[in-house]
Amino acid sequence: MPDLSALADPGFLAVQCLNGLTQAMFLFLIASGLSLIFGVLGVLNFAHGSLYMLGAYLSYTIASWFVGSPAAFWVALILGSIGVALVGGIIESVFLRPVYRREELDQLLVTYALVLIISDLVKLAWGAENRSGSRPALLAGSVVIAGRDFPTYNLFVLAVGPLVALGLWLLLRRTQFGRLVRAAANDREMVGVVGVNVTGLFTGVFMLGAWLGGLGGGLAAPIGAIFPGMDVEIIVESFIVVVVGGMGSLGGTLLGALIIGQLNAFGILFFPRFAIVFVYILMAVVLVIRPWGLLGRPVTRG
Amino acid sequence: MKRFTAVAGTVLSCLLILWSALPLPVPAQQETIKIGVIYGLGGAAAPYTKPAITGHEIAVDEINAKGGLLGRKLQLVIRDDQSKPDVGVREARELILKEKVDFLMGVIHSGVALGISEVAKEYKKIYLNTIAKTAALTEEKGHRYVFRSASNTVIEGRAAAILMANQPFKRYAVIGPDYEYGHRMVDDFISYLKMLKPGVQVVGEAWPKFGERDFTAHVNALLQAKPEMVYSSLWGGDAIAFVKQAKPYGFFTKTEYMNIAAADLDVVVPLGAETPEGIWGSSNYAFYYPDTPANREFVAKYKAKANDLPPAGAFFGYVGTYFLAEAIRKAKSADTEKVIDALEGLTIETPIGPLTMRAYDHQATKGQYWGRLKRVPEFPFPIMGDVQLIGGEKTLRPVDEIKALRGAK
Repeated sequence: MPDLSALADPGFLAVQCLNGLTQAMFLFLIASGLSLIFGVLGVLNFAHGSLYMLGAYLSYTIASWFVGSPAAFWVALILGSIGVALVGGIIESVFLRPVYRREELDQLLVTYALVLIISDLVKLAWGAENRSGSRPALLAGSVVIAGRDFPTYNLFVLAVGPLVALGLWLLLRRTQFGRLVRAAANDREMVGVVGVNVTGLFTGVFMLGAWLGGLGGGLAAPIGAIFPGMDVEIIVESFIVVVVGGMGSLGGTLLGALIIGQLNAFGILFFPRFAIVFVYILMAVVLVIRPWGLLGRPVTRG
Repeated sequence: MKRFTAVAGTVLSCLLILWSALPLPVPAQQETIKIGVIYGLGGAAAPYTKPAITGHEIAVDEINAKGGLLGRKLQLVIRDDQSKPDVGVREARELILKEKVDFLMGVIHSGVALGISEVAKEYKKIYLNTIAKTAALTEEKGHRYVFRSASNTVIEGRAAAILMANQPFKRYAVIGPDYEYGHRMVDDFISYLKMLKPGVQVVGEAWPKFGERDFTAHVNALLQAKPEMVYSSLWGGDAIAFVKQAKPYGFFTKTEYMNIAAADLDVVVPLGAETPEGIWGSSNYAFYYPDTPANREFVAKYKAKANDLPPAGAFFGYVGTYFLAEAIRKAKSADTEKVIDALEGLTIETPIGPLTMRAYDHQATKGQYWGRLKRVPEFPFPIMGDVQLIGGEKTLRPVDEIKALRGAK
């Protein structure tokens, strides 16, 4: 018996909408890294969820070194995500570089192996217990929106998402690096032939994608549980976002995340027990009507 | 392009052939009493199952140090079910057929427990469940070969209902993880509370998936229903994330909150100072209650082995092992049928006092602890204040009710 009277309450609607938006920003941050790596490198990185998990653990640990300091959260967020980018650089150059020319199945196997390896390493390093970070004092409280309390931290996430989206757009559209990345996404052989260091370019893109995943993890660390296994759920959600939005399209990833965020926020009012079904219906419809995703392009990759 | 696949394939086949040619472990030479122990060792289950295994090990070491049972040592064979019923069933079969274990124990995931229970029935082996809570295991789906030393959803739900029957709240909202355990913990609470306290209403419900990251939409929807009390069957990481995310919405000032796992160490330790003071929390086991020599001794043993405070899982592993061990001792045999007869109605001393394995449904009289969380100077995390123990004998379903449930099947 869904109670839809809530929909007539503007305060409720405003907060629920913001909740959906916050969720969308998380999904966008994480899924954009997955999408970017696929778009340029052509690799479906199963281990992206592991990078997210690593970002959460690293931020948690770094923050614990500065416990009590107001800077702890910020230092942890920045250093943690950079740490994940470095791990990404190692992963790309050691494990992925040898398999770019192999079949996609082989690449998938390599990234899947990485999931298992990182999961075990995380258990070795941090153990199996639940952990959780802390919000900085500045963001721990709430603000009143439409007569209701809304977490300041969520406002912060709502600001970070668009900033990162803008930054990525500028990077890809307005810089030499971005031009090369887009060129490589279209035809990596040709970019190599004209003398561009494709190897370095790919490493850079993978590190950027890993950084996005790590940043998502670092942002999630203070408001959720950090545990081995948190990588599994997020990779499924990220895939859905990317499939809906369009593989390799950053605009599509943003759009997909926004739609799924609102579907999750309002779906629970209609079917408290089956809200998740809306997301799968959306994905099925998109796959039937536009198999390449809402803003993706029908690409045939060699 | 295909070369890698071909090479890998060949290597794999060679390994397979080598492995299948290995001599099987010598069976039947039963020097030891073998106990197959199955748990989901990764993911969200790990904070419960790792300490559980330590609990099993402490018990086995103690028993073996005193010469074992019937002159035979106990031996644990530990397997991972990945919290998947099909994997659990496969592991259980393999433990019985290949490892020739005498008994099966363990399991945290209710679905896995139900699966293994069927294997136990088929092969006529005892399966003593240590953590999984679905009441169905010992109620409508109970049989001669399945036992449970942990509490179950009826015990826990009814304990919470008895606790709340004396409280003034009428408007309840509920939230739980959307699977067997989460639903039963809510249903068994609400149905009993409505019996004890007519006029109770459920004004809102939320069913996030297990392992949900974002509870904020649920938080807002629950508050919109204007409940006086929110009953939550979230546990582990979900219980942590919900409290953290709900707090800045003013959730804990607008409604009371009771959570069946809020006093678990793996929830309060990560929450630490962020735990809202005064929320109602429960735990299956508390290292600080009862404050008796037996409990203190168990805490010391666990600390010596794991260098940590014992969470609920540790207690479950330890007590489950002793139920089995005492039954073997009493039966003077490791024969399945004789041990079953010995287990039925068996009372053992545990760190929290005596527990009895009920003869009819093979369910232990494990009670439930509740209290309002409060900060104390001794620990960096809150503990239950004014702990109330709601004993299993008060909350276990009477035998005729179970008979009716089994008859209805």
